[in-house]
Amino acid sequence: MDTLNPPLSILQAVRRRDHIAHNAWQVFAFLFIGLALAFTLVAAPSGDTFYFRLATEALIYSGLAMSVDLLLGFTGLLSLGQALFFGLGAYTSALVLKHVGPSFWTAMAVTLLVSTAVGIVGGFIAIRARGVYFALITFGMAQVVSKIVYNTRELGASDGIMGIPVIQANFLLFKVDTAQAPAFFLTVLAMTMGLYFCIAYLLRTPFGRTLGAVRNNECRVPFLGYNPQLYKMLAYVLAADMAAFSGALYPMLRGFVSPELMYFAVSGDAVITVVIGGLGTLIGAIYGSVILTGLKSAIGTYTGHYQIVIGVLFMLSVIAFPKGLMGYLSPLVEKWLAGRRENP
Amino acid sequence: MTGGELPVLEVRDLTVSFGALTAVCGMCFSAERGKITSIIGPNGAGKSTLFNLVSGGIRPSAGTVLFEGADVTGWAPYKLIRAGISRSFQITNLFFELPVYENLRLAAQALESSTKSLLPVRCSARARERVDELIEQFDLGEKVHELAGYLSHGEQRRLEIAVVLACRPRLLLLDEPTQGMSHSDTQEIGKVIRKLSGDLSILLIEHDIDLVMDLSDHVVVMHQGAKLAEGTPPEVKGNPLVQSAYLGLSVHAGN
Amino acid sequence: MGGAVDYIQFVFMPQVFNGLTIGVAVILMALGLTIIFGLLDVINMAHGEFYALGAYLGITLASHGVGFWLLLIAVPLVLLPLGYGSDRLLIQRVFHQKDRHMLTLLLTFGLAIIMEDMFKLAYGPNTIRPETPISGGTELFGNFFPSYRLFLMVFGTVTIAAVWLVVHRTRYGSMVRAAAFDKHMASSLGVPVGKVYSATFAFGVALAGLSGVLLAPIYSVFPTMGKDFILMAFAVVIVGGLGNIKGVVFAGLLLTQVQAISSLYISPVWADPLVFAIMVLVLMVRPQGILGGKLGHA
Repeated sequence: MDTLNPPLSILQAVRRRDHIAHNAWQVFAFLFIGLALAFTLVAAPSGDTFYFRLATEALIYSGLAMSVDLLLGFTGLLSLGQALFFGLGAYTSALVLKHVGPSFWTAMAVTLLVSTAVGIVGGFIAIRARGVYFALITFGMAQVVSKIVYNTRELGASDGIMGIPVIQANFLLFKVDTAQAPAFFLTVLAMTMGLYFCIAYLLRTPFGRTLGAVRNNECRVPFLGYNPQLYKMLAYVLAADMAAFSGALYPMLRGFVSPELMYFAVSGDAVITVVIGGLGTLIGAIYGSVILTGLKSAIGTYTGHYQIVIGVLFMLSVIAFPKGLMGYLSPLVEKWLAGRRENP
Repeated sequence: MTGGELPVLEVRDLTVSFGALTAVCGMCFSAERGKITSIIGPNGAGKSTLFNLVSGGIRPSAGTVLFEGADVTGWAPYKLIRAGISRSFQITNLFFELPVYENLRLAAQALESSTKSLLPVRCSARARERVDELIEQFDLGEKVHELAGYLSHGEQRRLEIAVVLACRPRLLLLDEPTQGMSHSDTQEIGKVIRKLSGDLSILLIEHDIDLVMDLSDHVVVMHQGAKLAEGTPPEVKGNPLVQSAYLGLSVHAGN
Repeated sequence: MGGAVDYIQFVFMPQVFNGLTIGVAVILMALGLTIIFGLLDVINMAHGEFYALGAYLGITLASHGVGFWLLLIAVPLVLLPLGYGSDRLLIQRVFHQKDRHMLTLLLTFGLAIIMEDMFKLAYGPNTIRPETPISGGTELFGNFFPSYRLFLMVFGTVTIAAVWLVVHRTRYGSMVRAAAFDKHMASSLGVPVGKVYSATFAFGVALAGLSGVLLAPIYSVFPTMGKDFILMAFAVVIVGGLGNIKGVVFAGLLLTQVQAISSLYISPVWADPLVFAIMVLVLMVRPQGILGGKLGHA
């Protein structure tokens, strides 16, 4: 260390550490993309659709889980009703595809408009509450809405909406047919990772850092010159949009939507996903979603009672591994990156 | 600008009640630009409530607060910070799970225009320079990586003041900055505060009477929610009302 | 004129009466929830599953020839050690960490998932309908009421009164209230705070089990019954003020009447949303609940 000019070297060290931590996440993100592409290469020639659809579903749910992580891991708000927005996105997209026209971009745009509007209303109700009260209010809102949907004949009541047409998503240079499992998988992969990189970027801006301040000590934030209510509102609406964005992909995959998509089980699974994957890591939501979906499917081939296994795993994670998978793996990668930098 | 003769802070008839209890009643005083104004008074005199009123934590029931001639009564804290009033806390109030560096950076971020809030933090050059200055000024260089919660009490108090200064306020409200400090640390903080005045106007609440008398240009004495007396330190010391209500006890305790 | 009287007597009154019987059972369950929150600051997400466990235990014991009257004592007694153990093994493990609110909520949520699936494993996914222990009806004010519901109301009211007495008039109750008010102070006065916590969790869970036994003949028994019912209990606890016993009784009667009467005039499908809308409204306007004040302070 240069003792003559300590501040400079210290700041370099701060920036380097920050950089390494960021790079560790990037490593996991690109590793995930690599694994997903490898999976595509291996599985596509076999003509399989089951595993592609399952993997696509895992990716779709990972968007929901990321929205839970944005709220809980980065802003300190435990949402027990995030499925409300996931379901909202799924229903909006389903209605647009069925009644307006089979256009991918129209469905996504309308979904985001609707989820932003509903997110603002929901945020207005929810963000005044703190801690467990926020958890219970989001839980209550999702329950009310899901019961209303369940009882609304125009939305197909308990059956949901079926017969959503297969669409061709137009990406200018090429078109993707949602019925082609590998192609749609790659599309959802691109969208999910795109979402991940956008949010990961946002969390590195002053906006994202201020969310961290709200999570850490909300009472102090006003005395730094920020309105915490505004930041909580922005996080809430952003999370609503993320969940709805993922939800909008669901009917394109499965061809139907049902009120179950809004149920507590879906919200709860998203929380489990984030805790197992690593709270406050963002990438953990994606890995967690793959793990959870994979586990459910694997155990499901032997017994219908996979919830026992998942519940035990979840509780173990809360008690013994509170940092989650990514929380324990990332320091290892950071160490490796730091070592590589020192001995090139 | 009307210049130096306009007080930086003027409080007129400020009153607040909580139910039947009137915590601050008809308080009037002003703080001069570039000077250190202290508020003293026995426990429960309403000093902290007054502070919360000025810094936006509580809305007053009546009265006005003028900052550089502009009415800022009842403004939210985050607006006051942007206007140039920053405060510290009696009980250390930091982001304990964030590193020292991030504590300072978050506070300095207020210097940047909001157009930068969606650019990476490394683009916030002014905030970064400000943090560099503060780290040097408060001798926190060794600790930038440490989580604020792991600092010693004295270091936390130093960081607290550094965080408050990060947004370059024009009026600084210091709520018992030496709370729980050793004698030598107290002396150290005294020096820091003295160095800060000049460019900066300071309003100080402090229990350490010797420090107050040593530092202040102007002292306001509160008693039971109202102003008992004010003046220069010697004037206040010589005031018989103050001696009976407050100083008498302290002189006994001090000697 | 006669039509109006008939309407009140044969349509309105029975509905109010049904609301009351359910209200009493909801209050029993919500009391457990609110006592656990009032003392431990724990939102017990598995409370509904303990309610279901009470109902299933009742079925198992009854199939081994245990009579209904004995069930009312046996089921809570079995649940006591289970609740005590859950608290020792799970909740106390994370209780001293900083974000224990979140951690205990997550842990009890995990417990709920496991319990629900265990019910499916042990009893199958189908609905079981226990026989009504007291059949027949009783004529009151010219109306015919099912005797079991009358019994439920009387028994439930007595139990609620007993809970109130336990919390406010016994040595255990005074220890609970002291620990809720200031656990460090209570601890230095010789209250075994850890044991009181676990005992209180057990007590709350046993109350949930008791309401499970009582409601099983009315609502039937199925694996997700806890989840369906916990919403109402949460609403009652929040509207009454988390940790407030009087509030639970008041809100329990209020919300079940809202549910019963709105089913009559609007539609049963809108009754639940209405109840939760009230809960959300109370959370927005008065988060401390209508009566406010926690266990140690009330």
